Amino acid sequence: MKTLRIKKSFTLLLATSMLVVLALSGCSGGKSAGDVVPGNDSDSAKSGASGGQVTITHYTIDSEDRTFIEKLVPDFEAKHPNIKVKVEKAPYEQFDSKLQTLIAGGKSPDVTSHYGYGGFAEYYNKDMLLDMNDIINEDGFKASDYSIPDDLMKIYTVKDHVYGIPVNMYVTLMLYNKDMFDADNVPYPPSDYEDKSWTFDKMVEDAKKMTHVSNDIAKTQYGVDFTWSERDMRPLYFGAEPYSQDTWTNGGVPSETYFTSPEVIAAYNKLFNLILKDKVSPTTEWSKSVAGQNGDAFVTGKVGMTVSGSWSLAGSNDFPFKVGVAAVPAGGNDKVRSVLFVDPLLILKGSKHPKEAFEWIKYLVSDEVQEKSIELSGGNPPVNTKAAETYYKHFDGIDPADVKKVYEGAVKYGFESYNHLITHYSQINDMFINEMQPIDTGHNTVEEVMPTIQQKVMEIIKR
Amino acid sequence: MSTIPTAGPGATPSVNKRRRKIDAVSIASFIALVATTFLMLLPLFFMVSTSLKSKKELLKFPPTFLPESWQWSNYREIFDTLNFGQMYMNSLIIGILTVVGTLFSSALAGYGFARYRGKGSNLWFMLMLSTMMLPYPAIMIPQFILFSKLNWIDTFLPLIVPAFFGSAYNIFLLRQFFSTLPDELFDAGRIDGCSEFRMWRQIALPLSGPALATVAIFAFIYSWNDLLTPVLYLSSSDKFTLPVGMSSFTSSRFRIPPWHLLMVASVLAMLPIVALFAIAQKRFVEGIVLTGIK
Repeated sequence: MKTLRIKKSFTLLLATSMLVVLALSGCSGGKSAGDVVPGNDSDSAKSGASGGQVTITHYTIDSEDRTFIEKLVPDFEAKHPNIKVKVEKAPYEQFDSKLQTLIAGGKSPDVTSHYGYGGFAEYYNKDMLLDMNDIINEDGFKASDYSIPDDLMKIYTVKDHVYGIPVNMYVTLMLYNKDMFDADNVPYPPSDYEDKSWTFDKMVEDAKKMTHVSNDIAKTQYGVDFTWSERDMRPLYFGAEPYSQDTWTNGGVPSETYFTSPEVIAAYNKLFNLILKDKVSPTTEWSKSVAGQNGDAFVTGKVGMTVSGSWSLAGSNDFPFKVGVAAVPAGGNDKVRSVLFVDPLLILKGSKHPKEAFEWIKYLVSDEVQEKSIELSGGNPPVNTKAAETYYKHFDGIDPADVKKVYEGAVKYGFESYNHLITHYSQINDMFINEMQPIDTGHNTVEEVMPTIQQKVMEIIKR
Repeated sequence: MSTIPTAGPGATPSVNKRRRKIDAVSIASFIALVATTFLMLLPLFFMVSTSLKSKKELLKFPPTFLPESWQWSNYREIFDTLNFGQMYMNSLIIGILTVVGTLFSSALAGYGFARYRGKGSNLWFMLMLSTMMLPYPAIMIPQFILFSKLNWIDTFLPLIVPAFFGSAYNIFLLRQFFSTLPDELFDAGRIDGCSEFRMWRQIALPLSGPALATVAIFAFIYSWNDLLTPVLYLSSSDKFTLPVGMSSFTSSRFRIPPWHLLMVASVLAMLPIVALFAIAQKRFVEGIVLTGIK
């Protein structure tokens, strides 16, 4: 009797678990990207795809400042009854691996951007992107109708073929801790890029006044943290160019690099001297120990000025001190003082419905939606020049006039970030971080490290 | 009579001395153990303490040991910010079914490898073990294509069904355990007319409590913490598991991550593992008591 009961309960357990598995599979239909789903009315269902609905997928990062587009979908679908939009997402760290797997597995999303570690040039060179020229010509799309500056359109145009439509534009700016400036009676830095007195040397002078190093780590504070974009980009700020000119016209493959040139070495020395000689900037270890998990010592109120991406503005309401924005000081390059991070919307080559995908992109860059997106995303900067006015007013406690001046100056003196423009960029970036570590810690000089970097950059580019 | 009373000649004082010495050693080691325990518990303490801080307090340096104001509301906020309850349920369903699948299939395969000798059985065993050498990224794309052809994308199936096909490590673990069971038990079963399947179920399994508990813990923890597979196969928010939701917290490159909420999620995510350990630990002891196998 007992064995029979055990036998029965065992079979029951097995049967139940299999049933649950089957039921779970049943719940979730298995519709996927690019499926054509017949419309509600039965006639269109009979006639197949014609008159049916098309589903496109938008692949993005699973964070509030990216997934806000889900809130825009109902309005878009109401205006385009034949198009359904599905938002697929992944955490930042897994963005690239999921995208690669989706494409390799034949489930390519229709629309995305380079939100992971890889940049536009990497996508372009892997032949992942759709040339939008035909669709643009057929549609009669003009950037000016969407208040997108022509210069920005050029960033994602390779040999006259458009591969991406800009949607957000982050710039480099200087954030400063007003409380710290007040405590040491240092006048606030200007937000006007045309103010000729605001130079790199003046910044160092101000930083010295605010730097107080003590044996007690809690009492130590530094004047400035000048981490200007990715490491290979920094020489450009002082007028030294590490990549050959052809990089920008041929899809991000430089024929030559100049990391051992005297200009590039001098530029790096100037930056490392902030830490090693002038001692107005924190060392990497100090920043790490002070900032803890937040990763940025400025946020803890221990650094007077920081040069950073304009995305830092979005979190400024949470800072435990008063914040101001200023221009990046002049460093010796009269054309470039700021890095632009323009995010485009891209259509992937595997898209089965590129025209519908383009409709969705047009919707996202339209004046009205760009303006709405600022609030919904919690402060994403639009490329749209009309919507930009609303963006400038978005930050509590920061004068909109300053934000506007800083933005306009940054665009005028801006250069699109190398990470979007150079091929194999995630590998180049990792290599730079590793190879420059001994300079951070004072074990090697710039002169000692640069030949290895020069050799490794060329090896990576040739892959 | 004026002599001072002593506790007998010789032996007793030295025993006392030794006892005192032992006491001193054990007290010292006890203190050392307590100190180490506190040290080990410190990260856990910080996790709980951070989960009760406000966002502004997180940015303070030096960090506060205890929260200045206790934000119990964080524990409610996590359910508003994330689809936390749903994610928790999803992780539990996947975890439990994975354990059921792993136990069933790995125990069956492990039993087979332990108790039957056939032509090439060693070769098959080596072949199975060699699957452990393949890192997941190497099979990621072919497996994705397979499940995509089966139309299983955005369902729990790719996360559960593979468990029903066994896993090399667990099969190996159980095979080793089943090999230690005495042949006499099975011979007796055979004489009594017991079928092979019933011998597995009624002789081998009941004697393998500790090994099965170990496999169950491994399988559950692996499924509970797995991030990459759910990220690849799930795309609707209502199907996300806890690790996917939690890693999304730190996903924005542009914002200060809400560490306090992440710690709330971590505290809550830890509970099933703690519960499982508590239950499995009992099973370990039971297994030893019942079988006398050590």
